[in-house]
Amino acid sequence: MKGKGKGIIDKDCPLQFPDLQPVDHATECPKYTAVLTRSEDEGIGLEELEVIQSDLETLLASAGLRLKQLEHEKQILVNWQDKKDKKGLTPGKVQPETPTSGKRGKVVEEKPSKKFKGATETSGKGAIHQTPTGPGRPKSKINQTKGEYDSAADSPIDLPKLPKNDAVNRFWVSVEPYCADITTEDIKVLEDLLISHQDDADFFKVPALGKHFSDRWAEEDLLEEQRDGAKINDRRRGNNNNHSGCPDVTTLLKKAEQSNVDESPFGPLTQRLVSALIEENIMTPMDDAMTELGGESADEAPAISPRALAKQLNIGNPIHLEKRIKRELEEQGILDMEEKVEDNPDDEILTELRQKQQDLKAISQHNIVVTKSLLERAKEEMKKQEIRKKLAAADAEVLDAYRKIQAARQKKKTPTKKEKDAAWKALKERDALVKVLASKNK
Amino acid sequence: MGRTKSGGGGSNVGASSSHSPSSDTNSTSSTAAAEVRIKDLLKELYHLIHQVQDERARGEHNLTNISKTHERMQQEQKVTPYYKNKLKGLYKTAMQDAELEAELLRKALDKIAEVKSIRENRRLGKIKDSDRPKPIMRRGVLMTMLQQNAQTLPLWVSKPGEKPPPLCGAITADNNYVAKPGDKVAARVRSDDEENWILAEVVTFNSSTNKYDVDDIDADEGKERHTLSKRRIVPLPIWKANPETDPEALFTKNMLVLALYPQTTCFYRALIHEPPKKPQDDYSVLFEDTSYQDGYSPPLMVAQRYVIACKEDKKK
Repeated sequence: MKGKGKGIIDKDCPLQFPDLQPVDHATECPKYTAVLTRSEDEGIGLEELEVIQSDLETLLASAGLRLKQLEHEKQILVNWQDKKDKKGLTPGKVQPETPTSGKRGKVVEEKPSKKFKGATETSGKGAIHQTPTGPGRPKSKINQTKGEYDSAADSPIDLPKLPKNDAVNRFWVSVEPYCADITTEDIKVLEDLLISHQDDADFFKVPALGKHFSDRWAEEDLLEEQRDGAKINDRRRGNNNNHSGCPDVTTLLKKAEQSNVDESPFGPLTQRLVSALIEENIMTPMDDAMTELGGESADEAPAISPRALAKQLNIGNPIHLEKRIKRELEEQGILDMEEKVEDNPDDEILTELRQKQQDLKAISQHNIVVTKSLLERAKEEMKKQEIRKKLAAADAEVLDAYRKIQAARQKKKTPTKKEKDAAWKALKERDALVKVLASKNK
Repeated sequence: MGRTKSGGGGSNVGASSSHSPSSDTNSTSSTAAAEVRIKDLLKELYHLIHQVQDERARGEHNLTNISKTHERMQQEQKVTPYYKNKLKGLYKTAMQDAELEAELLRKALDKIAEVKSIRENRRLGKIKDSDRPKPIMRRGVLMTMLQQNAQTLPLWVSKPGEKPPPLCGAITADNNYVAKPGDKVAARVRSDDEENWILAEVVTFNSSTNKYDVDDIDADEGKERHTLSKRRIVPLPIWKANPETDPEALFTKNMLVLALYPQTTCFYRALIHEPPKKPQDDYSVLFEDTSYQDGYSPPLMVAQRYVIACKEDKKK
């Protein structure tokens, strides 16, 4: 068994047991050795440099070689161990299992089948050989020596320095803001938040209605048409037709309005007021007359038409008139002030705007409530903090007193009255503080 | 191939010149500052050597331990996990020791290199100052100097994972490398309808023309200044490669090289017969020589410094 064992270690063990004995400087580096025995005053002569260099280089080469050999051996060790660990076998187990030389051939034969065809082909005998046996070693040794160059970095033994674990610190840092004391700054932030809500009024204003887009567009379109038409007219017609062919845009529009849309230019309030002031029957014949005259040309619209009336009465802007009437009525107390903001139910944009304003109002209301309660609680907490601080001081005092008394006891002395009083005072103070804090916490 | 003349091209064979041999090294005309610096360096060197020995003595115990463990393991013919762990620890310590030791040795060698460079600068400065072209030395003195020059070429020992730098042993310089004034180079010069690689020293490099001015090392009363294009210049290695740690930086057997023929200042084509085995060893090379029956000379020793890669010649 001994002889066989030796064979195994030769094959199994990839270690080369290199000779690492250092250079014997006494024999190999005489100059170096000589310098070592010299005193500092003697020093080194210039002429000796060459020899010394040679000696030092011999030493350096030896150190370098040793370093390489050690590195190599260490790598072998690491790889060897890794391999064993993977197979889950201790080296002690491997060796007794060493089969006879007759089996060696089989192992070699079965290796490829294991590798390429999988475990299905390995029969009962093969299964035994799946455990790494002695003869299998040399093969793995080759793998190791090959692998050690490219996998030099991933051996775990070479990386003993783990990065410092600072997860705990990071956790506390992340938690800190939630546990920290409330400062006056925090309170200021809350107050600023509340103040900022005062400017919300801007969001609830409804901008005044401008000119309706259909009116504006009609005007613009007509103007464009006219310009184009004017060009053509200029070419085709003589000078005498020029003026009559180009009526004013606004007058044209007005004519169109008068003929097509039989609507009063006055606002609803004006109409109501007028209708309230004028008797029905007076208006009726007017209307009748208008319908009678309907067949005539629009240019000759009768004076009874509301628009014509407006012109006659020299009322410039019906909208202004409406406003003036409204103001007047309100001042007179005839019209209720509250009715001032009456929305037009047909105005989609306005309804949307109102809707959003409503939402905003709800949200900001909620925000204000929450902020206020936060502020209140923060202030309360600040007070508690004060007390807690005092409590900590009181704790320290109590401890101090305790230590004094303890010290006195150790010296087998009864504590002096002064010490006792101080202790009691500290205790009482602390008790008071605890009570205050408890009442606050309720 | 005029092997019989002990130098091709411009080398003046055995000219016993009328000039007295000047060994510039022990010249006294140097500035006091350099002298002081050298003194300091020598002192530092002294201390470093002692530190090295301390470190070696410190590490020796561990090495003995390792070898004892090795012995025991081999005796027991078993590698138990206990031994493995023990070895691993021992190896680690030994590696740290070796690194420290090597570091100190490198420092000591740096000091020597500095002393040498100070003296070299002084030499170059003197050449520049004096009108005299170049101190001419007797052939024997020159050869000794060249030999010594080769021997004291610093040794490169790479650390684990490190690669030898350019101009270490057989590793050629980068393409854009420019040799500094004073550097030794192999220069291909034409003389008497013959191309020869001679040993020369760089004077200047003109970057606009891409040409070197070089002096034949075996100068014959200063007439041997050549202006050569960069192609014709091969810088000599500035490091010796350590066969034990950096074998890849050495020429291997049967490689074609240019080697300085012993006792000449000319490079000739040769085959590597035997690469060096120890840091201080030389190459054993076989020179191409038609005067021998098999076309090669018997093995001759040439220092690492004077063996360079042979660029394939078109003619041949």
